[in-house]
Amino acid sequence: MSDEVLLRATNVVKEFSLRSPGLRQRATMRAVADVSFEVRRGETFGIVGESGCGKSTLARCLVQLMTPTSGSVTFNDVELTTLSRRKLRPYRRQMQLVFQDPYASLNPRRRVGDIVAEPMRVNKTGSESEIRARVLELFELVGLDTASIQRYPHEFSGGQRQRIGIARSLSLNPSLVVADEPVSALDVSVQAQVLNLMADLQERLGLTYLFIAHDLGVVRHVSDRVAVMYLGEIVELANADDLYAAPFHPYTEALLSVAPELDDGTQAPRERIVISGDVPAPFNRPSGCTFRTRCPFATDHCAQVAPPLVELTPGRFVACHYPRNRSTTSI
Amino acid sequence: MHAVDGLSLSVGRKEVVGIVGESGSGKSVSMYSMLGLLREANVSVTGSVKFEGRELLGLADREMRVLRGRDIGMIFQDPMTALTPVYKVGWQIAEQIRAHQDVTKAQARQRAIELLGEVGIPEPHRRVDQFPHEFSGGMRQRVVIAMALSCNPKLLIADEPTTALDVTTQAQILELMGKLQDTYDSSIVLITHDMGVISEIADRVVVMYAGRPAEIGDRRAVIRTPQHPYTWGLLGAVPRVETKRSRLATIPGTPVSPLNVPTGCAFAPRCEHRFEKCDERPTLRGDGHLDACWLTIEQKVHLRAGAVETGGHA
Repeated sequence: MSDEVLLRATNVVKEFSLRSPGLRQRATMRAVADVSFEVRRGETFGIVGESGCGKSTLARCLVQLMTPTSGSVTFNDVELTTLSRRKLRPYRRQMQLVFQDPYASLNPRRRVGDIVAEPMRVNKTGSESEIRARVLELFELVGLDTASIQRYPHEFSGGQRQRIGIARSLSLNPSLVVADEPVSALDVSVQAQVLNLMADLQERLGLTYLFIAHDLGVVRHVSDRVAVMYLGEIVELANADDLYAAPFHPYTEALLSVAPELDDGTQAPRERIVISGDVPAPFNRPSGCTFRTRCPFATDHCAQVAPPLVELTPGRFVACHYPRNRSTTSI
Repeated sequence: MHAVDGLSLSVGRKEVVGIVGESGSGKSVSMYSMLGLLREANVSVTGSVKFEGRELLGLADREMRVLRGRDIGMIFQDPMTALTPVYKVGWQIAEQIRAHQDVTKAQARQRAIELLGEVGIPEPHRRVDQFPHEFSGGMRQRVVIAMALSCNPKLLIADEPTTALDVTTQAQILELMGKLQDTYDSSIVLITHDMGVISEIADRVVVMYAGRPAEIGDRRAVIRTPQHPYTWGLLGAVPRVETKRSRLATIPGTPVSPLNVPTGCAFAPRCEHRFEKCDERPTLRGDGHLDACWLTIEQKVHLRAGAVETGGHA
């Protein structure tokens, strides 16, 4: 990992206009609310959050599958949000996606070899024989039998399909791979195989990953740095080890305390913080801090002033008026 | 095809038994067949299922219906499919109560409101008249739990009750199940693919592979000293929140299809430690902590150390 910034998001906002249940007129839903962060070349940047927190929408805004309502996204210091579709093309090649559902993301009527070749054919990266050779190379790279390129997706298991999706994402030699819940549809033994494969590929090809997942253990395992999202905002961002060892934000703290762990009776019992209620609807965001409605430490101040994401200690950002686990000094 | 093959299991009063396994391991089918929920002509269930000493297999439909819902409650994975979208939730809970108890509509409705309150739904008086789509996923699962509890079942079968839920909601539901089990003294069979969930709530664990039990034992014993190589793989493959390991242990290959389970040990084709003996099907052996593996105890102790701790603690 270097300090060179590959992808930078600055004040990214994505809003949708919709008719919400119980409301007569149209309402605006803020799916991504003022998100800023940077992904460094060669690192794995993890985004973790519960369903509806805006992590997938954010990913789509970053790779320009959606245009953000406002804010800036730069890739290698080039602003992407204002580029025309044509001018965006060379950058799209460098940012590829791996999707969650290996059943829905592969066209069932096409042979898997053609699925992997498709991005290269669209981008005319070489002659047909060069493309074919590259497909075989990719199949080998992700650990699939090269004899199977003529087969159809339904002939493969979930884990193998995810390998096909990964092969396709690598076909154009991208520098950034955005993986949106790539292992959550897989059985645990297969999930481990795919995670190990992704780690190997990163090392061999020098890839940068933006890894989105809801599973705290998976995110911890793969990530160098982690951002925790809640209701469209990043509430905490830090080095993975620091964040998991001593979370600053009460939401992160609660999430970690309830993540199921394997207890063999030898560990000290943990204090679990079961936060009550549900995530508020994104078209009806609480005033001030968005987490205050479920936060055990919320005060009147939290209802009035939204805490900004500030760098509390070097490299550790948190959006909370009353950060936790700060035993050394008070704020 | 043998979806479930030779499962023997007893659940004590107030006990929580976790059944863990990957997709297609037969964990759901085993419970459905016990309850007589598999009715297709091509299904045959053999063996014996006893509930409070009474044989359930072959019991008349009429008698089975009385048991199901009253003495044995069931919670399904997807709360949206377990509830019908066209009726108010209060009506759905009341219907179940009225099917099993001699109460008036008003009484059943009152009990439904109480139950919604008990499972932690705020403003039960108002929510009782809402439709399932007006509830969030976690709230819907609470409604399903309220329904399963409506007749104070002695046994609750929960099939992946938290799999569709977020981790904070999962924690709420697991806590609720623990609390209700305390209050009602009911036994729970929890079906899940998540070793973490098992570790949170189960007293005893059954690890299933290819429709067969691979290992059965006290939860802590199974997690601390797993005996079966498949369990080693399952435990080693879980990315942990508390420690970072450089590599996850993996089980080569993919779960075996129930259509062609090997004649010997079902796990042998994926097992690193297989030997000649594995062509013969192992039976569950052991004292209290049972496993179906031909390795000797000494071999297991030795091999386990390498298998579960792959990568060590970074």
